[in-house]
Amino acid sequence: MKAKHLLAIALTAALLMTACWILPASAGADGEVVLRVCNWEEYIDLGDWDAEEDIIDLDIDLEALDEDEKAALIDNWDDSEILDGDQRMVFGKNPMIEDFEEWYFRTTGKKVRVEYSTFGTNEDLYNMLTIGDVYDLVCPSDYMIMKLMAEDQLVPLSESFKDQEKETNYYERGLSPYIRDIFDSHQINGESWSDYAAGYMWGVTGFLYNPDKVDEADASTWNLLENRKYNRLITIKDNVRDACFAAIGAVKSEMLTSEKFRSREDYAAALEAEMNDVSPDSIEKVQGYLQKVRENVYSFETDSGKADIITGKIVASYQWSGDAVYAMNVAEGEEEDDDVEVNDENRKYLNFSVPEEGTNIYFDGWVMLKCGIGNDTEKQQAAEAFINFLSRPDNAIRNMYYIGYTSAISGGDDGRILAYLDWNYGAETEEEETGTEDGTEAETAEAEAEESEAAEAEEDAGEDAEEEEPTVEYDLSYFFLGMGQHSDDYVLTVPESQLKRQLSAQYPSEEVIERASIMIYFNEEQNEQINRMWTNVRCFNINQVPVWIWILLAALIVGGVAFWLWRRAVRNRQYE
Amino acid sequence: MKFSRKTLGIPYAVFLLLFVVAPLVVLFYYAFTNGTGEFSLKNLTDFFSDPNTLGTLFYSLLLAMTTTLVCLLIAYPVAYILATSKMKSKPVIIMIFVMPMWINFSLRITALKEILTLIEGNLAFYPFLNSVIGMTYDFLPFMILPIYNTIVKLDGSLTEAARDLGANERRAFMRVTLPLSMPGIISGISMVFLPAMTNYVVLDMLNNSTFIMGSLIGSYFSAHNWHNGSMIALVLLGIICVFTLLTDRGDEKDARTGGALL
Repeated sequence: MKAKHLLAIALTAALLMTACWILPASAGADGEVVLRVCNWEEYIDLGDWDAEEDIIDLDIDLEALDEDEKAALIDNWDDSEILDGDQRMVFGKNPMIEDFEEWYFRTTGKKVRVEYSTFGTNEDLYNMLTIGDVYDLVCPSDYMIMKLMAEDQLVPLSESFKDQEKETNYYERGLSPYIRDIFDSHQINGESWSDYAAGYMWGVTGFLYNPDKVDEADASTWNLLENRKYNRLITIKDNVRDACFAAIGAVKSEMLTSEKFRSREDYAAALEAEMNDVSPDSIEKVQGYLQKVRENVYSFETDSGKADIITGKIVASYQWSGDAVYAMNVAEGEEEDDDVEVNDENRKYLNFSVPEEGTNIYFDGWVMLKCGIGNDTEKQQAAEAFINFLSRPDNAIRNMYYIGYTSAISGGDDGRILAYLDWNYGAETEEEETGTEDGTEAETAEAEAEESEAAEAEEDAGEDAEEEEPTVEYDLSYFFLGMGQHSDDYVLTVPESQLKRQLSAQYPSEEVIERASIMIYFNEEQNEQINRMWTNVRCFNINQVPVWIWILLAALIVGGVAFWLWRRAVRNRQYE
Repeated sequence: MKFSRKTLGIPYAVFLLLFVVAPLVVLFYYAFTNGTGEFSLKNLTDFFSDPNTLGTLFYSLLLAMTTTLVCLLIAYPVAYILATSKMKSKPVIIMIFVMPMWINFSLRITALKEILTLIEGNLAFYPFLNSVIGMTYDFLPFMILPIYNTIVKLDGSLTEAARDLGANERRAFMRVTLPLSMPGIISGISMVFLPAMTNYVVLDMLNNSTFIMGSLIGSYFSAHNWHNGSMIALVLLGIICVFTLLTDRGDEKDARTGGALL
């Protein structure tokens, strides 16, 4: 009996321990700060890069820099993997989080342990917080930040975080002026976003499409969604906000693309107002439109659209720019994905287009939660250091390279972000060509003719011109200097195709940015209306059931009951 | 203190309390309160006055009934033939039917999606059909096994007696074998119908854009409307309870043993 009792106790204890184990164990050992971070899935560099393929060679010429610049660069250098004496390399050897813990200990002498977890959607995160999960630092999107701000759930960023003078304030020193302007100018309850949130990644929405199957003109309007030409060959996002934004753009297409509207003085503000129009009248139109779209699209998807366009099941897909970059990489065979296998047969070059009516510019930003940080200054310091560490240009590059989205960091004086863009997208100039050219090509050229060097060089150049596509200039001054600014330093020379490919998705041109609008957080009442609209679109309405089905059902039930009664009567008679 | 065998039940009682009773209490709480935490029946009236909810219930029922019917029509002959044949390799064939259950379910549906695309060209034109095919594929073993187990245990002499007394083969089947295999059929139906009502993953993966009950509840929760969502879940629970009570009456214990093979 005793043994049984013990066994029972042991089993109960085991069960309870499993239950407790799920609950977060906070409060680290002696003096160690525990930072509970919750981020999107797959939204940070997890390290373990391929040492052969994944070395980012920024190719910054140290000789050309003056002493101060050089010193600043080398100072920041220490944890980047240096593989070659005089060239700047970025390489993700360890997970970003491990690197942070090590860096924090080295720079402050304090120990920090990051408890990292992930969420799938903003709504999931909000539900987790409502249930009572506690986090110190989370990374929701713009509208969820607005909601959390309005509900007073956030801790403001400290003064010392905003001190531009401090060497390690990489965020404040490196934030893109364009993003800074948006974070400063958007307010909720009289407080601007930048008081509470630090931008992490951003992007726009648009269509990823297969240029062999879809006309570029068709893809440059939100009306593509209901274009019967591509019946059941397009996907739309399976969430109410994205679907709503596209539908508003499509419904108001004529007005939004009119010259009169585009040339308004307050175009940006007017566009934002129109795209966030959730008046009953607008919602009704949106509902009608989405009901038509439902009959025209292949599916409402959250993740499968990328694989479906690569395998050719669909020809266009409503996508976030970061996911579009990733899908283009996979389709070209540049990157591997678990869901699709790309070989020579199905390799394709996809394009990205941003509809003319306007696009949704979105941000994911780090915010500190009251429920986690409270008044703990040690913790807040660690949280802010975490933001800064992610904002250090080489780390921003690592994250961008790893996840495909666009960092909000432009690097300020640090030239590495620009160098990365050039490394990633820049057309190869002739000097680089001869510099990087190796083995085979050079040898065959030598064997071909023993002519003078000049003639050989000329020939090489001629061949290259035949093979290579024309290049264009791509101006990103707005991102590095601010809207309306211009400097030749920030003009990239890129292959022409990049105007429609990864570069145009990762860093939209200024012309696209001009028609970008944020989507605000709607109030309770508006949200309820939008959600109702969404159920109306997605649900089968009982009123759609034709009368004859009801009659048939009634007949079946009456018939069934009658049959059963009859059978019983017959059986009873048999036994009598 | 006296210890009895009941002590051994404590772990299960704790489990029951933590993971069955507690969530139900929470579900009830949300279903019968409004946003401010006051008692309210509005969620219940919402359920029966909203054409979307009723329509979704209708659609889910239709889908589940079709799936169950198709499963039954395929499973009964298979189970009957298997059970009555004198093959030596019967266990092997049963194994073949059960084997898909050992492979991860999302993997199977992904494969099915590719096959259906090959056949149909574009899945999006036949959402209802695809959903029925997908769920039938998924739930068929649950239907075959209970029926097989019932028929295989039937006393063959009863059929022989019917034949001796002058019933032809068809009549013997209709009056003897079929009624006697009812427990297996009912058990199979409840094992297919109930998951078919709520399993929306198959629909999602095969691109059916119409909500069924599961996805409707999900959409309420992601819209932070836990109260209506809980009420829908609760009503669904009620429907399933009633269904189970009705079918359990004709159910025999040994018809269930098929579950052990899974």
